[in-house]
Amino acid sequence: MARVVVDPVTRIEGHLRVEVEVTNGKVSDAWVSGTLWRGMEKVLVNRAPEDAFWVAQRICGVCPISHSHASAQSCEDALGIKIPNNARIIRNLIEAAQYLHSHILWFYTLAALDYVNPVNALSADIADTYALAQAAGTRITDFGAVAARLKAFVENGQLSIFTGHEGWFGVGAEKHPGYVLPPELDLIATAHYLEALELQAVAAEIIGIMGGKFPHQMTSIPGGTAFVPTEQKLDDILFRFTRVKEFIDTALIPDTLAIAPYILDAASFGGGCGNFLSWGVFEAEDLDPYNRYLPRGFVETSKGLTAQEVGPDDVTEDVDHSWYDVPSGLNPKEGKTVPKWEQYSTSGKYSWGKAARCKGVPAEVGPLSRMLVAYVNGRPEVKSIIDDTLAKLSAAAGAQLQPTVLVSLLGRVAARNLEAKVVADWSIEWVNELIAALKGGDSSFFVTDRADSGQGAGLWEAPRGSVGHWMTVEGGKIANYQVVAPTTWDIAPRDSKGVPGPMEQALIGTPVVDSERPLEVLRVAHSFDP
Amino acid sequence: MAQEAHGALHDLLAVRGVTRRDFLKYCGSVAAMLGLSETMAPQIAAALEGAPKLMPALWLNGGSCTGCTESIAQVDTPDVATIVLDYLSFEYFETIMAAAGSWAEKNITKRAEEGGYILIYEGSVMTGQDGNTLFVGGGPENEGAKKGIEILEEAAKNAAAVIAVGSCAVDGGWIYGYPNASEATGVAAWLQHKGITTPVVSMPTCPVNPEWVVAMVVQLLLVADRDPAKFLQVTPMVKVPYTDAITGEKVTLLMPKAIYGQTIHDNCPRRGHFENGEFVTELGSKEEAMGYCLYKVGCKGPQTFTQCPVTRWNRRASWCVESGAPCIGCGGLNWVDNNSPFLKRMSDMRIGDTFVQPGTIGAAVGAVAAAGLVVHGIGMKAAGRIGDGPPMEEMKAYDRKRLAKKGGDK
Amino acid sequence: MAGHPHYREAHPLIFVITHWINLICMVMLAFSGFYIHYPFFDGFMGVARGMHFVAMYVVIINLTFRIVAAFFVKTAQDLDSREVDLDIKNWLPQEKNRHQFWETVKYYLFLRKEGVISAKYGSLQKIAYLATIPLTYLQAYTGFAIYGPSMDLGFFRAGLDLVGGPMNMRVIHYLGMWVFILFTMVHAYLANIYNFAPSKLIFLWKETVPEGKH
Repeated sequence: MARVVVDPVTRIEGHLRVEVEVTNGKVSDAWVSGTLWRGMEKVLVNRAPEDAFWVAQRICGVCPISHSHASAQSCEDALGIKIPNNARIIRNLIEAAQYLHSHILWFYTLAALDYVNPVNALSADIADTYALAQAAGTRITDFGAVAARLKAFVENGQLSIFTGHEGWFGVGAEKHPGYVLPPELDLIATAHYLEALELQAVAAEIIGIMGGKFPHQMTSIPGGTAFVPTEQKLDDILFRFTRVKEFIDTALIPDTLAIAPYILDAASFGGGCGNFLSWGVFEAEDLDPYNRYLPRGFVETSKGLTAQEVGPDDVTEDVDHSWYDVPSGLNPKEGKTVPKWEQYSTSGKYSWGKAARCKGVPAEVGPLSRMLVAYVNGRPEVKSIIDDTLAKLSAAAGAQLQPTVLVSLLGRVAARNLEAKVVADWSIEWVNELIAALKGGDSSFFVTDRADSGQGAGLWEAPRGSVGHWMTVEGGKIANYQVVAPTTWDIAPRDSKGVPGPMEQALIGTPVVDSERPLEVLRVAHSFDP
Repeated sequence: MAQEAHGALHDLLAVRGVTRRDFLKYCGSVAAMLGLSETMAPQIAAALEGAPKLMPALWLNGGSCTGCTESIAQVDTPDVATIVLDYLSFEYFETIMAAAGSWAEKNITKRAEEGGYILIYEGSVMTGQDGNTLFVGGGPENEGAKKGIEILEEAAKNAAAVIAVGSCAVDGGWIYGYPNASEATGVAAWLQHKGITTPVVSMPTCPVNPEWVVAMVVQLLLVADRDPAKFLQVTPMVKVPYTDAITGEKVTLLMPKAIYGQTIHDNCPRRGHFENGEFVTELGSKEEAMGYCLYKVGCKGPQTFTQCPVTRWNRRASWCVESGAPCIGCGGLNWVDNNSPFLKRMSDMRIGDTFVQPGTIGAAVGAVAAAGLVVHGIGMKAAGRIGDGPPMEEMKAYDRKRLAKKGGDK
Repeated sequence: MAGHPHYREAHPLIFVITHWINLICMVMLAFSGFYIHYPFFDGFMGVARGMHFVAMYVVIINLTFRIVAAFFVKTAQDLDSREVDLDIKNWLPQEKNRHQFWETVKYYLFLRKEGVISAKYGSLQKIAYLATIPLTYLQAYTGFAIYGPSMDLGFFRAGLDLVGGPMNMRVIHYLGMWVFILFTMVHAYLANIYNFAPSKLIFLWKETVPEGKH
């Protein structure tokens, strides 16, 4: 029995600490800790309700769009605003652009280095690499040039993000046993890593065009949108969505399918709590959250693969293991934020994160949750892509895989990339929907009428999971503001009953091959895109 | 010597698929960025080629949202720009580095001991709860963890220079906004408070505009030959003094003048509509479609000193005002308090815990005064003073009293 | 008609003119200032800004001239007298103002019946009038400090930093205007509350001489 700590968990947004107990080569207990507290909710109190849209999104520089939309919706819910149809489509498009940006960035820039060893790629045979790429149906680029470029990186001899960490990747006998891809696949993935850096930025340009800038957008102001598209802007958007979609079709999806067979063991651990929450995202014309493109719902796999209804009142937050001096079990509507640092102790308080619970149990949020809820709701686009992928992986595994296999590390990784594909397809549809609406003469983008008091919630989905903003407005000023961010759900510490949070549960049972370099722990942590 | 280095860089560029033409083109845009003539491009190229090895750099995240890192990831012409960024060798960069935990952590200590690097700091300096609002790197049961502020001090002490990127690193950013419950502050203020004299270049906006950071990195490496002292000498700076509420320090922030020297309003493409008196009164309206000025819906361009309208954002795709949104002044100091409510022309004044518009105060005082005068006028009428005025006193009350007192004495 | 006499010697023609200039400019400044603060109709911003600047320069020159003139022009020392002396003496505290501050306050609060003895200007009046001088200059300073081309000059920059940036300076400039509005309200009220003789004199240069006086 040994304690292993990963702090900082790198390649994430923000500051995360993971402490695990390893028994007989497997994680037997885990404590996940958010190690930063900034006090967003306190800054917003007493300000104008619209202001929250700009400030609250600055909680997260990787998913600001979703926070901004949740905040705007909480304001609109509180003040009785119904946004115009054009604004709905534009918000969907900005959100979609962020999903594509985020998922590409997550897979290639943040998570890939858990599976791909760029140092190993140096020993790839270039001809074999082309053959492999062809066979996998993935994007061909000048692999020789990439190899040469990589060589220059490594031979430069200085520390950098890839090189100089030979200790981490290991060379020769020290080579980390967790990196199992053949060098040719390492090279393909590294080549796409570099291309992805370009494509994630192209996706972000779409937000730049419609939202003014990214990170931190400007236009989805409570009431609708300030962005009025011109012909030229529409063209700029469509062109970029098409480019990003092409990359997802030709690189992200084939790469996922090419790498998966090498890490099939990841289907046997990392599943976690088995409860999946989705607030729903991508608003449909009727603005019904159960009818969103990725619908709202709550799946408790212990009760079977069915989705229950779920709403803002089902959320509570416990603070028994968090550094706050407030009662446990409050709904965010009446939530309070009073920080009080005490000693870090895995048997006592150990996180700045509150333990968010849905209907009293921990809930995993993220692409896997959304895809599962959409799947059990029978969303055709989602159902077909999941069934299709399961069939392909079944062939690789030599056994018929059931949808429940998704509740695993592998499932979580795959779900994210499949979702990127679904959203990329929709994004093109939505641009055309917007063009049709404008052609039809709809010139309404913003409504100014609003009440000056009320209470509301904005429940939405960030690429990394469910995001909820709760706002109480009195006399035109914010009286209370609470945020339950995606990471609050996933990295939640233990609750009042001592039940570990979703990431903690997912870590338990994870094998640790080399406790000095706990790669598998990192993989599970990263799979949540914390 | 220079000849040798020339060859080395040339090879480096060549293997990365960058032609000499691309390279010169990039140097041209760097020149324009720095406010130099494009004819300087060959000199910049020469300076670049003359530089021998990558300059080591540490990128630290304090109380950050990682937005500035995200922003840097959007920088333009990636091949070439990556090279200039690769020109820095990032020995610690949480968001993109392969290693994690102690494998990553030890790079900071090692480099801090060796010196000769630049430190790029993103996020606020978290001093609240005795510095425990941010901690990193402890062992089991957090044994030996360091506070965020300790890591900053360790890394800054031996750095050649610190670049504080984003408003949070400059003065605490939105976290510094009232009531600043986590006691966030800026890098320059904290280092001065701790007696650390490493020069700090401050680059606000939320997040930082990546092209500006690249421009400064290029300026340091190439124009200033990696010499921070020379960098400060050859880079015109705006000196912005402010008093930090957390440390009580009076700090003079250094901000590159080419970037932070003029207001957004002065360079805004919609400025013509401002002068014409053509305004957007409702967001997303037909006036917006005509590109009118956002002044009436609270644009803070007139008091925000950044180059946003010129540089723009996301590879020059657009920027806030072009997309129809009023500037919220994220490049100013204490920007949330100084610019909210964002849809109003003026920021609120804080009275105790509540925020009030100056216009409300003015109108209220005016109304009270008017009412007071009316009441007073009625009183004057009732007192019979209207017309001829009151009967005048024969002698000042003071003199009367004194006289009476004198008389009493007698 | 009754009350005090209002002789021309109290306000020589030159000061009637400066007062007119002041009034016109202040109205223009307030109007254009409100417009710049929030343009309540379209198509006037360029004009409003021009007006604001012209009126500001005129007011400053006028004020400065008025101050200098006070040292050279002679005006009546008392309301009921045609005897003149240097105008500046009328601005500074005079023997008749001594011990009268609280009495004046009491008079306006109806705590005493009789009017108080005073020089041409009472103590409260002098304080208010003198305060407008630095306030006008300060208002010009705060205005320049939020004006693009000058805000970067050290002299103005220092002020910006003192108050915490251009936004705060703008708020101060705005509230400064309200101080002038309040001044004007109270000034106009008190000057005309008994009768309009003061206005006739200062605007039309017409004397009002009660019966029995000359």
